[in-house]
This record gives sequence, C-alpha cells and structure tokens, in this order.
Amino acid sequence: MAANYWESSQRRHWLFTREQLDDLRKKLEDQGQDLVQGYPLPQLRHLSIYFNQQIARLGKRLGVRQQAMATAQLYIRRFYSKVEIRQTNPYLVIATAVYLACKMEECPHHIRLVVSEGRNSWPDFFSGDTSKLGECEFFMISEMSSQMIVHHPYRTLTSLQGIFSLTQEESALAWSIINDHYMTDLPLLYAPHTVAIMAILLALVLRPNQTGVQSVGPAVGSIASAAQAALSSVHSSKPGSSDKQNAGPRTKVQRLANWLAESNVDIEDLVDCTQEIISFYEFQEQYNEKLTREQINRFVKARGLDK
Amino acid sequence: MAVSPLVLPGAAEKGGPTAKSKLQSAAASSNGTPNAAQSSTEVNDVAEQMNEDEKAKYVKGKKLGEGTYANVYLGHISSSPSSLVAIKKIKVQQQYTEGMAPDAIRELKFLQELSHPNIISLISVFSSKDQNINLVLEFLPMGDLEMLIKDTSGVRYGMADIKAWMGMLSRAVWFCHENFVLHRDIKPNNLLIAADGEVKLADFGLARSFSDPYRLMTSTVITIWYRPPELLFGARQYSGAVDVWSVGLVFAELVIRVPYLQGINEVDQIAKLCMGVGTPTEENWPGVSKLPDYTVPAPPSPVMGIDHYLSMFGTVGQEGVDLLMKMLIMDPRRRITARQVLEHGWWSSDPRATKNEDLPKKGGGESKVAEDLGRRPGMVDDERAGKVARKLDFGGMR
Repeated sequence: MAANYWESSQRRHWLFTREQLDDLRKKLEDQGQDLVQGYPLPQLRHLSIYFNQQIARLGKRLGVRQQAMATAQLYIRRFYSKVEIRQTNPYLVIATAVYLACKMEECPHHIRLVVSEGRNSWPDFFSGDTSKLGECEFFMISEMSSQMIVHHPYRTLTSLQGIFSLTQEESALAWSIINDHYMTDLPLLYAPHTVAIMAILLALVLRPNQTGVQSVGPAVGSIASAAQAALSSVHSSKPGSSDKQNAGPRTKVQRLANWLAESNVDIEDLVDCTQEIISFYEFQEQYNEKLTREQINRFVKARGLDK
Repeated sequence: MAVSPLVLPGAAEKGGPTAKSKLQSAAASSNGTPNAAQSSTEVNDVAEQMNEDEKAKYVKGKKLGEGTYANVYLGHISSSPSSLVAIKKIKVQQQYTEGMAPDAIRELKFLQELSHPNIISLISVFSSKDQNINLVLEFLPMGDLEMLIKDTSGVRYGMADIKAWMGMLSRAVWFCHENFVLHRDIKPNNLLIAADGEVKLADFGLARSFSDPYRLMTSTVITIWYRPPELLFGARQYSGAVDVWSVGLVFAELVIRVPYLQGINEVDQIAKLCMGVGTPTEENWPGVSKLPDYTVPAPPSPVMGIDHYLSMFGTVGQEGVDLLMKMLIMDPRRRITARQVLEHGWWSSDPRATKNEDLPKKGGGESKVAEDLGRRPGMVDDERAGKVARKLDFGGMR
C-alpha cells in the first residue's frame, strides 16, 4: 500500500456505482454481440471463482503472497470492465495480472518464470513465448490507465482487530471473508474499510466455534438475518447506552454496532456490502467448475486465442 | 492532503499543473491478445477514442534526448502552443520479452498517486499506436540543483536561497513519507527546477511503498554519496530515515558546493562517512554491529561535534547547522524525521527563505531536461559513473 486512499486513483477512477458497472459491461456486450451469443459463458460470479482458483494455482507454484494475489484479482476485474473477455485468452490475462501484481507489491518474479509456470498450469492454453505476456502486460497497464496502486481491506482489519478484541479465529474468518470478496464486484463498489468492517461484522455473527471455523455455506439464510439484526441495532443504539463489558461475542457485535453509530461509515453501504457477499456465498454453491472451464476453453480454442 | 503539515489549509491549493484525471488510455484490443475473428474490429473503440482524444491534446515535438528506458520529447498542449510539456516515451524492451522495465513501472505507479507542488507532476498518460506508453510530465526547463551547485563561477547564492530550496525539498520528502512512499534516490540532480523557481523532486524509478513489518527490502538503493550508513551496512529493513540522510547530504552539498562524502565505492564510502561524520559504533548506535555488512576502518574516529560543522557549514547559521547535524545522526532511529525537519527552528529564524522568483537561476535548456528525465534511476552523470547505485536485482528481490 502506498499513498492516501482518499486521494487515490482507486477512489477517484476505480470506484463505481452498480449502475455504472452494469453500463460498462452492457456496452462491452453490445459491441460484441455475435461473440457473446456464439460463446455463452457462466455468470460473472462463477467466472470469478474460476479465476480465483486459477490464480491460487499459479500463485502457489510461484509462492506469491496473498496480498499480491488479491491485487491480481482486482486487476483482472478492472481489466474485464474495459475489455470483453471473449476477446482475450483468460489464462494469459491471469498470468499477466499475477506478474504485474507481484511487481507492484514488491515481490517480483522474472517473466520467464511466470511464463513457464503458466505453461505448466495450463499446457494446452498457454504459449511459452514471453513476449506474449509482455505484450499483455502493456495492454493491461493501458486499460487500467496505468493506475496500479491498490488499497486492500487487510490493513483496516489488522488495525481494527484490537479495537473489537477479535479472537484469532474471528480474525482469521474475517481475513478469509476479505479473500472471498475478490470474487465479487465489491472491490469496485466500496471503499476497502467498508469491506473490512463488513468482514468483521460477519465474522462476529458467524461466531467461529471451538471446533474451528464453521463452514460458511449452509447457513446463508440465518447469517443474513443475524447480520441484518446486528446492523439494525446500529440505528437504534445510542452511543454509550449499552456497552457492557462482557467479552462474549454478543457484546462484541454490540460494541461494533456502537462504534459504527459513532463513526462516519455509511451504514447503507455496509448493508449492501453484506448482502452482496452473502448472495455470493449462495451462488458459490451452484458453481460448476467443469462447466465453467469448458465454456472458457471453448472460446479460447475456437478463436485461436491461445496461439 | 496538505502540502506541508505546517501550512494552513487553503494555502496549499496552488501549485503546478495538477494531474487530475490522468488519462483513460487504451491500446487497441487486438494488440494485447491475438484475436482471430473479425467481429472484433469495432470493439473497444470507445476506449480507443478516449485514448485518441487524450493523445490529440498534446503535440509531440522534437526529441530532446534518449535514455536507457525512455526517450524524452519536447511537447506542448495542442490548443496552447506556449504550454510546454515533456513527453517521456517508455521504450518497450525487446518486443516485450522482458516485460515492462521496473523503473518505468515504479515511476508510473507513484506519480499517478502523488500530487504535490514539489513533486514533478504527471499530467497525463497515453499509449501510441506503436505500443509505447507516453508519460506527459510538466516541463521543468531550468535544470536541476546539481547544475546550480556545480556552477561555482556563474551562480552565487546564500543562506536564504539554500533555505528556500531545502524547504521545497523537505516538503516533498515529508509528503512522500506521509503517503508511505520511500523515494530512495534523493540527490541534487533529481531535484529539477521549474520556470518559476519551484524545486520538484523527480525520478521515482527506485521508489517503493513502506514495507510491511518484517518484510525485507533491498539495501542497494540510493546513489552511494547520498546513501545512509544503515544501507551501507546492508540493512534490509529501514524507514524514511534513509531519505532524510540523503536530504542532509544535499543540504551539506548546497553549502560547500561539492558532495560532502564522495566515496569511490561502498567500502570507501564508509571510510569517508567515518571521517566526515564519525564512526558508527555500539556506543553511538546500539545494535549497529549486528547489521549484516558492518565493518568500519580502525581506529574509530569520534562523532563530529558542532565545532566541525560550524567551521564547515557555518554559513547557514547555528540553527541551520543544528538541523544538518540532526539529519546526519547515524542511528536511523534517532535521526530527525521528515516531519520534525519541517518543525525545526531554522525555517522561522532569520533570514527568511528567498521567494521563488528571486532565486538564482541558470537556464538548463532542453537538452538538460532530456538528460534529467532520461537518466536511469540510481545513476549519476557519466563522468561520475562508478558511484552508481547498483541496479536493482528485480528477479530475486523480496
């Protein structure tokens, strides 16, 4: 992280309303209607899950730290808000995003290493020619208007975990919710601190039990209502009225609610943000990796994008 | 963000061309990834058009010079031929096989975010059809501080002028640190001078964000004459204090008009440092002997006292000497911070800093602009080669 979020290119140029984002994407689709009809793709959330898995594969081979992988995912999302996916080889775009993100996050890897690991990961879809990746890097930097510094929610989480006395399990859960949010549009819609607070809220509501972090998937409905309840208590809570000093998770949620009531954080944003991630978890259950892979591979092959 | 912590809000709003919406550039989609189908020809023309519009705003003039990773051209705003800009065209390395030069990336990355009167502004970025990235930078025609320092027969200046230049440099450095950016290559020839006399910190090719705790950084940054002892001793974790040391040496050089510590290599640099500032020891810097490359010539020389500095740098007065000594404190934990520099009493003591329009000038001309912008980070002019900051090992660096 560098520079100041409030003055950052991220806030000034890469934060959208949902309508703006829909417009951007619609425009891309309209421009390439034949392509869109000829090569149907799964919904964006499922594509994002697939990209996330592929980045994780490549990242693991290269030993990339989490923050660089997060940056890479955001680059991909920014890039595909400007470029129709069917015009590109997503595997090349993924590798390029990882390569560029590593440079940006000061953990660089040599281009040849990235290319050879890319080739190992996707032998049928990835050229061994480093100039392809170099060219795509140029393309990506251009599409991002050379605005490359990304502010992540991790830092907010790290600095707030003490204030809300999060346990290690709660922190870890919040951390993994932040990891997950890169598979949604949230990083293009909300400020990183909003996402971080959403993650903390959910982590407290989900209440990791002693046997470990309970899986997020099944209880989506009840999470939603619990989160909802917590947030609505923000509106009702009067600062200082109900801050009892028990350490139970219930109190922690209450403390967060009180804190929010006194903060400048936009509660509406927080509610939207929470709903978005919850609905992501719902859609995640329907994710079909095989289908997604096949549909991507189909247009890459048919259009000769892997050459 | 304010220009300085000590300036009232509002006073900060002036300054050079600020880089607002720094371009919506876009290369043709057909270039990034090959595409076979023809239906794509019209795709992306909105983005392309935006790039064309941006490009059309500037007229590229003659080439001013050629650097390692960029060529520099004189340019002007199409609608206003008298508004000059410098256009730095980043060369793509060998048909892309090496990826974008790390220096170019760092420069882009930071100049996109930092906007301050004492930091060179990136006005726009656009890509040209031959797949080059063009940085439109403000035109700084008056050369750099090094030229002024070296021209001992042509340019005379005094304490008030030094105070003005140092003030601008210190505000730039404070702003970088306030935004968690380490410049890592502060030296007189990276301090460019605008037509109105404003000093601007340039060349962010070695800059980086503050490291996360416990993560290591490379110690081979900063041209060696300006490199602090902790880096000479191989420290892999460091702070803004490294830049403050460089600022101190620029300060010293402004006074005596030659670099204060001119080592011919790293070992010699340490020797010069021991003689000119004092030998770092466990007594004046607890823990120093644990740094990986700690070696000092025997016998140790004592830390220089105020008498030494007064005799050498007395022209800047008691307060000025005090500030200099605090910038050259060897233990980086005790060295003055960029913010404390701005709070120092020297600035408010007499004489006041010279106004920009009254500062001594020396026309640098176009070729100097090219030289300044085209230089590779960490390098000094050719005749001073050999004291070069080692090229970053970008491959293995963590």
